[in-house]
Amino acid sequence: MLGPARGLAAGTQTHFGFQSVTEAERREKIYQVFENVAEKYDVMNDSMSLGIHRVWKDILVHKMNPSPGTLLVDVAGGTGDIAFRFINYVRSVRERQLRQKLRNHQNLSWQEISKSYEEGRSNPLGDSQVVVCDINKEMLKAGKQRAQHLGYSEGLSWVLGNAEELPFDDNKFDVYTIAFGIRNVTRIDLALQEAYRVLKPGGRFLCLEFSHVSNPLLSRLYDLYSFQVIPVLGEVIAGDWKSYQYLVESIRRFPPQEELKAMIEDAGFLKVDYQNLNSGIVAIHSGFKL
Amino acid sequence: MLRGCGRGAAVVLRGAAGSRGTAGQRQQQQQQQQQQQQGPGAGRPLEPSLLQFLVCPLSKRPLRYEESTNELINEELGIAYPVIDGIPNMIPEAARSTKKRP
Repeated sequence: MLGPARGLAAGTQTHFGFQSVTEAERREKIYQVFENVAEKYDVMNDSMSLGIHRVWKDILVHKMNPSPGTLLVDVAGGTGDIAFRFINYVRSVRERQLRQKLRNHQNLSWQEISKSYEEGRSNPLGDSQVVVCDINKEMLKAGKQRAQHLGYSEGLSWVLGNAEELPFDDNKFDVYTIAFGIRNVTRIDLALQEAYRVLKPGGRFLCLEFSHVSNPLLSRLYDLYSFQVIPVLGEVIAGDWKSYQYLVESIRRFPPQEELKAMIEDAGFLKVDYQNLNSGIVAIHSGFKL
Repeated sequence: MLRGCGRGAAVVLRGAAGSRGTAGQRQQQQQQQQQQQQGPGAGRPLEPSLLQFLVCPLSKRPLRYEESTNELINEELGIAYPVIDGIPNMIPEAARSTKKRP
């Protein structure tokens, strides 16, 4: 095994929620959190966010507004939420394109019309592709099963990889997304550098993550809900209080909007901006490789 | 080994039943099924479209896909990344050193 030979910064101190641990310990603990929750991940998301996480993810993909032919890498994509939405989106854009094409050409022959239908049937995604990359085997397994269950197969592939050390070549992807994943990365700066590397020039970085609420009243209500309700839900639904305690603490530890924006700019991205959702409970950060 | 292939084929068929029924998807699933039945005992093979993206996470250099062992091999560094259930494991710690091979 290559572990010892690589001289990882195993000894550097970092945090796991509110605990102080080494980087290696943190990686291990976070891996175990997701290993434990993988089966119940989607159910937990629905119960804890009262289904609102679906809206956040819809907004992310709408903001992306991908056209057919887009190559997306969804990092920390686990159970496939963003990937499936991407596929649905480009499929409907493609269908609309084909319909528009037929409507605009008044004098088509029957052969041309049937050729257009054939085109639609054989290439429903218009060559769009999404690669889901996650560090956790259980999450990917769950994602792959979900994909089979829901009927997604074309244009979709799965890779076990580390966001800090992506197994992809430079300048490959049109869009890089990381939804509710960057919080769990130990070296966020490395993940951002890798994101920059694998994007094509002109490519877009999109990050959907829990952020900071500035409104004091809302902030108190949010804290109350987070610390009193969420771990309890975790125990009742998934039999796992600690993982959800970690979740809540990790959100508090994560840099606020402006700080994350600066980190993204440090990685080389330009036109970096963020959009708060639900008063900052969640934020979408966007940047371009120009 | 055969049981694994059978299970894999069953999953593909289940997927086909639940699919959105476009001709393209059905064709691809049939192809996958064929690959499984012909393929090696080392689990499901790699999705071919992935090969255009994948490189070694350590050196960022191209990899060679070895069908017989279902691994992605970096000749320069002498390491091999396994493909498990069609998912390539590109975590460096999991890679096998090919130099140890007899």
